[in-house]
Amino acid sequence: MRRFIVAAALLAACIAPAQKLPWQADESAPDTHQSVHFLYPEQITVAPGKDTVVELHFKINPGMHINSHTPREKSFIPTQLIVVEPDGLKIGSVDFPPGSDYALAAMPNDKLSVYTGELVLHAHINARPGDHLLEGVLRYQACDTNSCYPPRKAPVAIDVIAR
Amino acid sequence: MTMSAQTPPDAASPQVPQVNDRKPGNRNTLVIAVVVVALGLMAWAGIKNYQRRKQEEAKLKELQAMVVKLPPADALTGATPPASQPGDDTPSTNPLAGKTAPNFTLKDTTGKKVSLAAYKGKAVIIDFWATWCAPCKVEIPWLEKLHDQYAAQGLEILGVSEDDLDLDDQAKLLKEKQDIANSAAGLHINYPVLIDDSNVAKPYGGIDALPTTFFVDRSGKVVATTVGLADRDEIEANIKKALGSGVPQANAQPAGGQS
Repeated sequence: MRRFIVAAALLAACIAPAQKLPWQADESAPDTHQSVHFLYPEQITVAPGKDTVVELHFKINPGMHINSHTPREKSFIPTQLIVVEPDGLKIGSVDFPPGSDYALAAMPNDKLSVYTGELVLHAHINARPGDHLLEGVLRYQACDTNSCYPPRKAPVAIDVIAR
Repeated sequence: MTMSAQTPPDAASPQVPQVNDRKPGNRNTLVIAVVVVALGLMAWAGIKNYQRRKQEEAKLKELQAMVVKLPPADALTGATPPASQPGDDTPSTNPLAGKTAPNFTLKDTTGKKVSLAAYKGKAVIIDFWATWCAPCKVEIPWLEKLHDQYAAQGLEILGVSEDDLDLDDQAKLLKEKQDIANSAAGLHINYPVLIDDSNVAKPYGGIDALPTTFFVDRSGKVVATTVGLADRDEIEANIKKALGSGVPQANAQPAGGQS
């Protein structure tokens, strides 16, 4: 497990005038036929002002795999967590697990770095007292043994209660 | 370290000089050597550790893009998250079997306009693929070889890239097109690679699974489709089918094998 410190406020300028959430402005494939689903938690209670680690659980459909956050080939699309950071809720970093090796039957020597089954991310958050809504999407690109599908976004929403 | 005075000397063993027998100068040299080696090891470990941390920092910078933080939601009044629409990624069935392949005109990676209509009289493979699609990269070398093998009999192949394009940002669009061209060059693709900037996949059933490959006969009708990575023999059989149909029997050219 590696911890990745998050750089401050990315993409602020490009979404400021938008009335949609940022990922909705993306013209990639519509979010039908999801291969990944956010499982839980839907709501968490944390101590205000205290650093807390939240586990985000996702399920990848059986028979499918998605690229890890560090695919081995440049052209492959990494899994990303895109989040809105509301007032009073700081997201310090998110840990992505390492990918597993996977090879297509026709290319046994070319190992891909993928996630399968259940994916758990660890988000380090710190909330001011009150109720907060953490919204985001997991952007991923899924394949099965013979086909690949356009990048999609699995929505994530967590009520964070700090008291 | 001192050997015990009670230990009987072993006559068969060579005489080992005892530490007490060493001169002070030898002992100092030994100590200095040990210290130098220890310092060297420490320095080496320090350098290695520094290099490792530098590598990790570099990697970290690269990976910060894995988490993208956005400004507070209150700047996005009225916004709602995208609705989750559960369901599996499943290949769609081909709605075009036996029908005329929808015409399209797209630019290839060199900027040249290519129209499907211009290929009438030829058998055409339309291969929808993307640079991020691993199975496509298995199939493409087969198509290249089959293209070489059957070109003389009238086979043409058009690769249609389904990579996402940012049509609102010219700089990004240019880079995306260049990435597709680079990827095609890296795969040594020996047929036109078209950039789908006008959603020509839609009349082809809204391509979802990649690769999806349409086999069009000489009259322009779709005679076969494969969704996902097909067996090479199946692809070749479909090529023969496309080459051998769609023309009056008298003008039909024999399909199969290298001419």
